[in-house]
Amino acid sequence: MSSSKEAPSLEEFRARAELTGLALTPEDIEHLHKGYVGLLALMDRIPGRWAWAAEPPLVFRADE
Amino acid sequence: MTDLTQLGIAEAARLMARGELTASTLTEAFLKRIEAIDHKIASYITVTAHLARNAARQADMEREGGVRRGSLHGIPIGLKDIYETAGVRTTGHSHLKADYVPAVDAESVRRLKAAGAVILGKLGTHEFANGAMTPDQPFPAVLNPWNVKHQPGGSSSGSGAAVAAALCMGAMGSDTGGSIRNPAGYCATAGLKPTYGLVSRSGIFPLAFSLDTAGPLAWTTEDCALMLDALTGHDPADQGSARTPKVDYGAAAHRPIKGLRIALARRWYEGEDGVTPEMKAGIDEAVRVLEDQGAIVEEVVFPDIRDYHVCGRVIITVEAHAIHRRDVIERPEKFGYTTLRRFQLGAFFTAEQYIGAQRFRRQLTLDTRAAMRGYDLVMTANHWGPPETFGEPQPIFHFLGKPSLTMPFNVTGQPAATICCGFSADGLPLAFQLAGRAFDEACVIAAGAAYERATPWRGHRPAL
Repeated sequence: MSSSKEAPSLEEFRARAELTGLALTPEDIEHLHKGYVGLLALMDRIPGRWAWAAEPPLVFRADE
Repeated sequence: MTDLTQLGIAEAARLMARGELTASTLTEAFLKRIEAIDHKIASYITVTAHLARNAARQADMEREGGVRRGSLHGIPIGLKDIYETAGVRTTGHSHLKADYVPAVDAESVRRLKAAGAVILGKLGTHEFANGAMTPDQPFPAVLNPWNVKHQPGGSSSGSGAAVAAALCMGAMGSDTGGSIRNPAGYCATAGLKPTYGLVSRSGIFPLAFSLDTAGPLAWTTEDCALMLDALTGHDPADQGSARTPKVDYGAAAHRPIKGLRIALARRWYEGEDGVTPEMKAGIDEAVRVLEDQGAIVEEVVFPDIRDYHVCGRVIITVEAHAIHRRDVIERPEKFGYTTLRRFQLGAFFTAEQYIGAQRFRRQLTLDTRAAMRGYDLVMTANHWGPPETFGEPQPIFHFLGKPSLTMPFNVTGQPAATICCGFSADGLPLAFQLAGRAFDEACVIAAGAAYERATPWRGHRPAL
């Protein structure tokens, strides 16, 4: 899992934005970068390494 | 006779069964109140008065002919405006769907009608159950009936506000990260997010397939249970729909709770930057009330609340983008600004990040189940404190603030109910959650209803 320590710079994020297929202004990208980096920091809580067999359910069922 | 709009579903059903009340009389009372009051809180987008009157007449004719469809027969209900309704526009509170008129009812709407419910109209929502109430949307923001300067919560905003203001007896909402429980808590209604898979979502605008649930809001937990009775059952059109035995949820509302074991997730809501002192006091008192009725409440340590929060938020962000991607690219100007931003963000996450969140979800579900071993229910706060005012700027990336107290049970799929436990000095509602094991809504309902019967809060309505 990506760590916030590896959060993309605004320049890197701009390059990624071009690949998304969205029509974004520089202002849009700057704003989305803030949101992305913020959520990425929270995602430090998600483990980065899983046993190879730790597959997620394709369709989640609470009654499994 | 008392003001009919103040009746609960259970009480109205008893009066109709005894021939002391007709669906037409009840429906007229609600239509009259909507006309008189709703302009103050804007809970309805569309009022289907003509259809409601016809449905009420039909219900009365059936009853006169000896047909009894159950507790919802002739009961006026509102629908969050993401539920598709045949011949009635279904907007999602968005310019994108402002003129969309479905040909077929959502399965849950079909079931409500089959149970004899009278549909009063369509209720305001955060845009596509995800955005916020912003002025760039085609319909006015729903206001909180307890204090119109405050947000009513969302995304099922109109559902919470209309039930609290007695503009319908029950309403349907949807809950992906707390969208039933959040407005229920802020508007002092009861609200029940069912187990993932218990209630069909076919014909409801999706937000995140693997988290979306549909469920009722009503003035009491018992009334939510009566609505749930009409809603459950496998639906092959919904891939997440479970096959479960039929349960009498209405009867569950009258079960004793002596011996019920409740795990109190206190660490989620107390400590530095925790709930307000009034909320804490309300929940402490609720613990005492439940213990007085014979329940055993013990503090239990669950995974960190922030784990559930980020797990659910990544899944919602990515799935919502996938669902709305075409419109985000082709018609971005049709979205509200906040909604668009949140839907755009999902384009930046990788498959690895999404799958990582799903793996984390499985782990959190197992860890929560382990922590609950030996307990029937989890109890925790419903929200942190009073709802924001409309004067405060609404954060676009709201998830960067405090973690959601409702998200744990979306991540685990468990059923969770919101129960009002009093009011702050400012007159704004306090509330806690009760969550059960998967598909054990009956236990949640029993405890919630027992608490409500033992406390005075269901006798207190907003003055409008």
